[in-house]
Amino acid sequence: MSDIIRREEFGDVAVLHITSTSVDAISAAAIAAEYEQMRPITVLDFSEVSFINSAGISALLKFVVSARKSGYKLFAMHVSPHHQKIFKMVEMSRFMPPIDDRDLAEFR
Amino acid sequence: MQRIELNIPSNPIFERVVRASAAELGAAFGFSDERVEDLKLAISEAVNNAIDHGNHGEVNKLVAVVFEIDGEKLEIRISDQGTGMEGHDVSRHVIDEQSLEAGYLRGFGMYLISELVDDYEVNSSQKGTVLTLRLYRRSE
Repeated sequence: MSDIIRREEFGDVAVLHITSTSVDAISAAAIAAEYEQMRPITVLDFSEVSFINSAGISALLKFVVSARKSGYKLFAMHVSPHHQKIFKMVEMSRFMPPIDDRDLAEFR
Repeated sequence: MQRIELNIPSNPIFERVVRASAAELGAAFGFSDERVEDLKLAISEAVNNAIDHGNHGEVNKLVAVVFEIDGEKLEIRISDQGTGMEGHDVSRHVIDEQSLEAGYLRGFGMYLISELVDDYEVNSSQKGTVLTLRLYRRSE
């Protein structure tokens, strides 16, 4: 298990809490490695993330590609307003839409 | 004019040092929190480009980052010790079905830089590449 991702599972859902404050070239490999453990509904939790750059975006796209191949659903939660802006600029939001705590709770 | 210069080896861990410096400088310059985040991301992309594409990750080659505050202007010059780059694609690069299918998951850096700073220029020669970013203080 990665020390950069804290994993929580219930039913078909995996919530991957990213515990690194930076999703960048240093943390990218460890984050991307987790895509092999996706569940039919996978949620990436960005609540502890304060910085994401394009190297980080590339790592997150591994999850997008894997979800598309598997027919899985991928969501993002607790994305800061700044990162929402960046995700919108590169159209990440289209492939990893936001989910809030209330909607996630319905899966529990 | 006030000037700060950092020289880092071509190891991505040191990009975090430059980024932290940019955050402090942006805040001291009077940028809003959002603009500081824009500055951090633009510099991060520029430094990583210099490390990866300029110096090809050769740790003995340095990336120089010069911050200059001149009145209402903050100028940052990021220089590598490579042999120059031929093209600088700043076209809008977004995630789409085609790029995902092709496994093309990179290449957002210059596009993000072009969107996040007020202006920029690239000067490349056989002696290396210098990327200059400029941001202006404005009432927000």
